[in-house]
Amino acid sequence: MSKFTIKLLSGLAAAALILAACAPAATPAPTAVPFRVGVVTDVGEVDDKSFNQSAWEGAQQGAAAVGGTAEYIETKDAKDYGANIAEFADKGYDVIITVGFALGQATTEAAKKYPNVKFIGVDQFQGESVANLSGLIFHEDHSGYLAGVLAAKMTKTGTIAAVLGTDLVPPVVAFKEGYEAGAKATKPDIKIISTYHPGGLDVAFTDPEWGATTAAQAVDQGADVVFGAGGKTGNGALIEVASRDGLLCIGVDSDQWETVPEAHSCLISSAMKLITPGVVDLIKLAKDGQFPAGNYFGDAALAPFHDFDSQVPADVKTLIEDTAKGLKDGTIKTGYGE
Amino acid sequence: MDPVIIAAVLSSALRQSTPISLGALSGLFCERSGVINIGIEGMMLMAAFTGFVASAVTGNIFLAILVAVLTGMLMALFHGWLSIQFKVDQIISGTVINILAVGLTGYFYTRNLTTQGKLEPIALPGLSQIPIIGRVLFDNPPITYLALVLVFVAHFVLFHTRWGLRLRAVGEHPRAADTLGINVIWMRYANVVIGGALAGLAGAFLTLEAVGSFERGMTNGRGFISLAVMIFGKWTPLGAWAGALLFGFTNALQTQLQFSGLGSVIPHQFVGMLPYLLTIIVLAGFVGRARPPAAVGQPYTKE
Repeated sequence: MSKFTIKLLSGLAAAALILAACAPAATPAPTAVPFRVGVVTDVGEVDDKSFNQSAWEGAQQGAAAVGGTAEYIETKDAKDYGANIAEFADKGYDVIITVGFALGQATTEAAKKYPNVKFIGVDQFQGESVANLSGLIFHEDHSGYLAGVLAAKMTKTGTIAAVLGTDLVPPVVAFKEGYEAGAKATKPDIKIISTYHPGGLDVAFTDPEWGATTAAQAVDQGADVVFGAGGKTGNGALIEVASRDGLLCIGVDSDQWETVPEAHSCLISSAMKLITPGVVDLIKLAKDGQFPAGNYFGDAALAPFHDFDSQVPADVKTLIEDTAKGLKDGTIKTGYGE
Repeated sequence: MDPVIIAAVLSSALRQSTPISLGALSGLFCERSGVINIGIEGMMLMAAFTGFVASAVTGNIFLAILVAVLTGMLMALFHGWLSIQFKVDQIISGTVINILAVGLTGYFYTRNLTTQGKLEPIALPGLSQIPIIGRVLFDNPPITYLALVLVFVAHFVLFHTRWGLRLRAVGEHPRAADTLGINVIWMRYANVVIGGALAGLAGAFLTLEAVGSFERGMTNGRGFISLAVMIFGKWTPLGAWAGALLFGFTNALQTQLQFSGLGSVIPHQFVGMLPYLLTIIVLAGFVGRARPPAAVGQPYTKE
């Protein structure tokens, strides 16, 4: 191959690269821009039956309600949070939803960089208020309290347990405190045995065997209702409880009837954060120009009883409904954060 | 103290010691033959994953255990191929296995797979009726029993059989072993693969017996703790087993201390330090100097 051919080829290659790089910029901007909503997931899939999926469903419903469209980017690596957010921001999306505690910092930085875009940070507590950023957070202690009421009413042995992720994450502490307060308010002499995972953030939510063996240890000493609140660690506890007869378990975050089918034989309910309606509300507020800066509280509630519906007595259902109302209007306090 | 609580703590201790004990045996067979295996973690994780998939797809748990064990063996064969055949630094080869396992299992895992239950405990008639001990030792699922038996089998094989003598010889002084007509390369391959099978069994324990489901990175350092426990036990099966039991017990104890409400008095992180603190105390006070096999980590070249 002569020197000239090499030069020619490399020149062509360079030209092709430049053309490829320029191509998107050459596209003319659409004239009538619809209201666009983008979702950046935490590491994982958009159909994870948990946070990501709930937020994505909220984005689709919210966008539909205001006559817009919704798109998502699945984050493959925690290093890409910022880049994925910029992907939407640079295209001029109206609302960008980032899902999960872990994206908090990247979201705050992006919100400051793109003041014209409204950001919704799911599960991201806002310490300082940024005008175009709203943290969708929840009263976990409320749904924990309801779970505690349910557990106290359903236990036969008088001992209930909680297997938890780490107390380094405030929502986990809120779930625990609420659970214990709810149980004690319902049955003052109840015995509650609860444990946090001893490890750090990197393992506390992804250690199902620890969750399972801890649940077993609790069940062996008489606990017959176990609240599993700690991601995959909690799921391990639920599955362990399901492998034994006559026990009940309570899931967390989303309706775990959908997420942990292995636990169907014990899963009476889940202490949920209602992400989907919260996202829908915030999108509508953004469209109407009433976007709330700072923290926005979504609803926290118990999931349906599914197969256990007939086993939960009517008076317990009434009690839970009344308690939920009381928590909402402030007549019942959980004692968390006071 | 309440016997119910004692039984609950001890059975949790045994359960938490099982994967560690199997992992330590895996490390023993490799290192006693002269091959460092820091890839136990990866072998466990990979086996846990393939066992889980096999169980979810076929619904046959025993077939799934076989798949997990074979996976461990295959990974070990790869480790042997790199470190014995090509004399790649054994630490690097083990690290490759750990990274490979995290990557492959993370990539292929889909959350829509669910298993058909997990291995159930089998109460041994008569024995399981003994107070406390019966509940702790004789009412367990199969891999736990197997792990207990394997500790003693490994002890017997290592110290009371011709195979064990040769295995130790190639790990201590391969040249001498070679001059006596022992095939060093073959002995190392064979024992690394045996080690792989044991790591595979530990993986099977995690998904098929303990949890009943798979999760990314679910081994959570258990392979590395196994290695520590092996050193703790001075490269002997009984010593390693004692180390694994101590680890399991202190973990169960810290859970129990939190259950008892002590967590609100002392920060639970202090209680969480217990397993490691106790290990250091025992290691420094009672175990003394540990001596690894002399030729561990050195590839063997026939002259």
